[in-house]
Amino acid sequence: MKRQRDKEETSSDEIISDNIDVDTEDISDEDNEGTISSAMSDCETFDQKEAQVQYEIGANGYPRQIWPEIDPIYESDTSTEDPVNTVGNIPMEWYDDYPHIGYDINGKKIMKPATSDELDKFLNNMEDPDSWLSVKDVLSQQNVKLSDEELEIIRRIQMGAFPDPNYDPYEPTIEWFTSKPEVMPLNATPEPKRRFVPSKWEAKRIMKIVRAIRQGRIVLGKTQTPKPRYYSLWTDNDKPREEHIMQIPAPKIKLPEHDESYNPPAEYLPTDKEKEEWEKMDPDDREKNYLPQKYPCLRAVPAYGRFIQDRFNRCLDLYLAPRMRRNKLNIDPESLLPKLPNPKDLQPFPTSITLSYDAHKGRVREFSIDPSGIWLLSGSDDKTIRMWEITTGRCVKTWDMDEIVHSVAWCPNKDICAFAVAISNKVIIISPPAVCDDETTNLTAQYVVSGFNTEKNEKQMKLVEWIKPSTEQGDGFLVIVQHAHNKVIKQITWHRKGDYFATVAPDAGSQGILIHQLSRHQTQQPFRRTKGMVQRVMFHPIKPLFFVATQTFVRIYNLVKQELVKTLQSGVKWISSLDIHSMGDNIIIGSYDKRLCWFDLDLSSRPYKALRFHSKAIRSVAFHKRLPLFASCSDDGTIQIFHGMVYNDLLQNPLIVPVKILKAGHEVVNNLGVLHCEFHPTQPWIISSGADHSLKLWT
Amino acid sequence: MGKIKLKGKAGAATNYIKRNQALKKLQLSLADFRRICILKGIYPREPKNKKKANKGSTAPTTLYYTKDIQYLAHEPVLKKFREHKSFVKKLNRALGKQQLSIAKSLEKNKPVYTLDHIIKERYPTFTDALRDLDDALCMLFLFATLPSTDKIKSETVANCQRLSLEFQHYVIRSHSLRKVFLSIKGIYYQIEIKGQTITWLVPYQFSQQVPDDVDFRVMLTFLEFYQTFVGFVNFKLYTDMNLVYPPKLDISKDDGAAGLNAIIIEVTNFSLATSQVNDKQLAGGALSLEKSAQKINSEERLKTLPKKLAEIKNKDERAASEITPDSVDNAETEEALMDDFMDQTPVLPTSQEQDVLMQTFTYRDIHSASVALSEFENLFSKCIFYLSREVPRYSLEFIIRAFGGQVGWDATLGVGSPFTESDERITHHIIDRPIIKNQFLARVYVQPQWVYDCINARKLLKTKQYRPGHELPPHMSPFVEHKEGDYEPEMENDFEGMVEETSARSKEQHNQAENDDKDNDADVNEDAPVLDHDSDYVENEADNEDMVYQMELEAEVAGTPFAKYKENKAKQISDGKFHNNSSSKPRAESGKKRTSKEIEEQEIKELAKIMMTKKQKRLYSKMQYGKKKQEEKVLNLKRKREEINQQKKNAVPISVKDGKKRK
Repeated sequence: MKRQRDKEETSSDEIISDNIDVDTEDISDEDNEGTISSAMSDCETFDQKEAQVQYEIGANGYPRQIWPEIDPIYESDTSTEDPVNTVGNIPMEWYDDYPHIGYDINGKKIMKPATSDELDKFLNNMEDPDSWLSVKDVLSQQNVKLSDEELEIIRRIQMGAFPDPNYDPYEPTIEWFTSKPEVMPLNATPEPKRRFVPSKWEAKRIMKIVRAIRQGRIVLGKTQTPKPRYYSLWTDNDKPREEHIMQIPAPKIKLPEHDESYNPPAEYLPTDKEKEEWEKMDPDDREKNYLPQKYPCLRAVPAYGRFIQDRFNRCLDLYLAPRMRRNKLNIDPESLLPKLPNPKDLQPFPTSITLSYDAHKGRVREFSIDPSGIWLLSGSDDKTIRMWEITTGRCVKTWDMDEIVHSVAWCPNKDICAFAVAISNKVIIISPPAVCDDETTNLTAQYVVSGFNTEKNEKQMKLVEWIKPSTEQGDGFLVIVQHAHNKVIKQITWHRKGDYFATVAPDAGSQGILIHQLSRHQTQQPFRRTKGMVQRVMFHPIKPLFFVATQTFVRIYNLVKQELVKTLQSGVKWISSLDIHSMGDNIIIGSYDKRLCWFDLDLSSRPYKALRFHSKAIRSVAFHKRLPLFASCSDDGTIQIFHGMVYNDLLQNPLIVPVKILKAGHEVVNNLGVLHCEFHPTQPWIISSGADHSLKLWT
Repeated sequence: MGKIKLKGKAGAATNYIKRNQALKKLQLSLADFRRICILKGIYPREPKNKKKANKGSTAPTTLYYTKDIQYLAHEPVLKKFREHKSFVKKLNRALGKQQLSIAKSLEKNKPVYTLDHIIKERYPTFTDALRDLDDALCMLFLFATLPSTDKIKSETVANCQRLSLEFQHYVIRSHSLRKVFLSIKGIYYQIEIKGQTITWLVPYQFSQQVPDDVDFRVMLTFLEFYQTFVGFVNFKLYTDMNLVYPPKLDISKDDGAAGLNAIIIEVTNFSLATSQVNDKQLAGGALSLEKSAQKINSEERLKTLPKKLAEIKNKDERAASEITPDSVDNAETEEALMDDFMDQTPVLPTSQEQDVLMQTFTYRDIHSASVALSEFENLFSKCIFYLSREVPRYSLEFIIRAFGGQVGWDATLGVGSPFTESDERITHHIIDRPIIKNQFLARVYVQPQWVYDCINARKLLKTKQYRPGHELPPHMSPFVEHKEGDYEPEMENDFEGMVEETSARSKEQHNQAENDDKDNDADVNEDAPVLDHDSDYVENEADNEDMVYQMELEAEVAGTPFAKYKENKAKQISDGKFHNNSSSKPRAESGKKRTSKEIEEQEIKELAKIMMTKKQKRLYSKMQYGKKKQEEKVLNLKRKREEINQQKKNAVPISVKDGKKRK
């Protein structure tokens, strides 16, 4: 393309020079203007205006062109009528959404030409015989008819011929520079001097070599004697490398054991089962990469097929396996076991099962031992309460109830011979007949019944109703405390003096915890609303404190000041049981997530010790009243006895030593094992009740 | 206030570098990096805390120690790698342009790298080098047996063969072989040089199948290093022994597959000269190279002696009084020996206590140990072996010569046998066929395992069980050290009293051999092989009864109460000292019934576990798991053994048993 333009330029130059020639001929003659212009009009390549160039003599004496003024009229320009689109080579669909198709040289919009619809186009195509030779011009959006020359080009391209019909591919070559020396050189430059002078740099390099040869650094024709390949690399005074922590020598290959022998002892040979297992295993999981085999003699031993692979793997291990120093713990595992005092030195504690109390037909949820330690009272799912003599295992009395007995509790006051029973939303105070002497029985009856005379305020009437039972209702029934809510009461706990008792109904919301006074038949609702679901409550054995265990916290309230004293964070998920040490400074809780936590109230609000030893949920925990013992019982059917010594010295932490696991007493029924355990008030005995409908005495 | 520490500017974050970063830093291709890592012995690390080393990511990455990589950057071999790369380009260009003369000159000046400095860097002292010799030897011995392929050049194989032969020669000369083991993978050899034990594995000589899934470039890079390494080690070993290195190769013998014999070992003239000079210089100016080397050698030996002594003592105890009458002819030493042993045997238990308590040794201990060692090193010095054509000469010749024996072999095993089969001096004929056609009466015919078992037992065993065609006793690994609680397989071949009296052989060779043969004949002729075995068995039982009676008597004399004696015995039985069938009963009973004391102990343990912290509990249970696994393994083996014993018992014909009972 460029070349073509150049050609045109040259041709125009020639033409101009021609013109000049022509002009110079008639330079003096100014009247010949017409002839010149007529001559110029013949020339196709020139415009009329250009032909009207005038010449005059310039300052240097040569003629000078004087161009006519351009008259900006319609015909003044060579351009066609169509405005030239200046957008360039861009995808024209960019203008699809606009009314114009680009801009002309002046920056004016070129509007899209009116387009005919498909039908018109079709008709046009049909009518116009030249329609097949027209092509749509993208820039102008118009059909352009192809000229004959263009058609010819297309035809030739289709044929695979050169587009230009005049091009001759087999032109004879013109040798401008030939192998034959011409008489006259192409250019007249003389040969440079350097062609005839020896190179300075070459000389320098050669001199360098020459000097080296002279000085003997290079010996010509010397055959290099090979250095001995091996020589003494190590001497006697080599310094060993200093030990560095980052230098990790590769471990040596494991030395073979008996089973790798070609003739191992017979017990090392794998059985068919072991062979099968080995073959099934992934090669990476195999402990050893071979199967022991026995050959009768050395002659029969074949080549080991994986020898090269083994060596290759070792190579890979040497350079690809990350190395690290691993400190192998070389300790006796027994040294990890804490040194504990021998349980024998911590006796007495219950060690074996002595008695079983079997009469219940349902699981025994709870039982209570009377303060003197003679009687045992058990409440069961078979809707009965049974009274047992502890030492003989004789069932003294049975009360039939109309609901499941959730809780029973002896009054801790020895002067009052009565106990409380929780049945659905009722608490019944019963004085067992023919157990205590008549005087005590009478006193108890008087003490309990005297409360009916006291006035009751409205607030209390809303909470509970103290009902006097009829004699048919039950033997020894003194009072029925009917709760206003109809939720099940799960726990009854007595104050140490035996006048107050508290009831817990976890589902009853704000009325979940109620404190009742037996002598005056008064009932209080200590908390307007409770935070969380209350699991257990307890009175402090000495101080006027009240412990409330929710699912995760144990809150301690002062009943006199009516304020929260402390919140214990147990860290367990669901507290199941709670017991307080007889000194009142230590409490233990058991949880359904198998943990037992010991809190030292003087120490922290977090557990002093959290132990996890049961394999299932802990159901109940208990302190011994006199001895330094505590126990936990769990759904795994075991009771764990601990020695839990609390010192009077504040600086000394309590000593906790596990002393006995009581196993094989209760059977696990429906994933329920031992449901409750309690220590005998005076003896080192423990009584437990289980889901297998029985109670056991361990001594 | 101190300087503010920026994250990722110190510690693990800068100590480790990822592989790709290393490649970028060194401007190397991965292949070249791997090669240099192999040559320089650089390996990836596992940081203590992966997150800290890897910008908080725990994704699996290969991390190198940064200083290793920095240290690589100045490696001259790397420069040579680069030169080689450009050399290859130049050569290809020249070849492409058909400029053959240029190509030739290029080829002549091809950049060559040596690994000498790397070896010195990696192993600054010779002891370091010896410590790392295991892998190198394994590799060399493997490649010495490989066929040359397009990947493995024949020169490489030849060089490996040569180096391995040289090394074997050194082992033979220095008598440093200690243990051998015939495994299903190949033959393990363990030697001891300068207190370092070196173990290597040699494949059985069959044509190896070259697998496809092995990248030979990696193996060959290792091999390249190991060849240089072993070459230097060999040089040092040879020169320390005043031998010429490299030894000359007898090409005609080598072509005839002479193996070890193809190499001609020469003693250096230099050392002879210097020793003469030394003799002349009575004042003793500079110690000769040889002497200094010897001194060092002996010093090192002395250093490792205590350990050795302890080992030997343990072995001694096992074998009760081990008096190898090999050296009977050497009257002086023998007497001294006997004295030593006389002193030693009664003192043994106390001296062992001393070992444990104080680790002190008397001169006598050291002396006796060194004598025992030298005796062991010349175990076969009185034996002359002949190898039948089906036994592996490549291994047997090596080990026999390493223990001072002489070997001859069948012509089919290679040229260079010093004597023929009909030679009268031959004492042992090693044969691996059940039938022998023309027996020589003057020699013992044994299976090859006998030689290996003798070495591992450190004495000559009775050959009865190793007769051709006999069922061989199991071949045990000499590398297993029995710890408490491990399973100890019963030795069917009781080593006690199985010592071969070779000393007598030297003079009464003929008679002895004849007697042996007679015994053998008698054995064979007596009964059918099964019955023979049975009678052995019954005898064994009878022996045991006698022994029990004997022991009871001894106990009575000693004045121990019967209950205590029984207890002791039960203990012994449970320890596995008695491998009789009768021992299985009490053991089983003791296994079943746990005493109340055990139960109590168990309970106390259980209770103590309650008070453990979580971490301790986890650790404890982990340890118990490992222990239990080991115990299970041992139990499994014991159970299998008992089953086998039971089967054997059942196989005893009833008539024989009855006969015994009636008696």
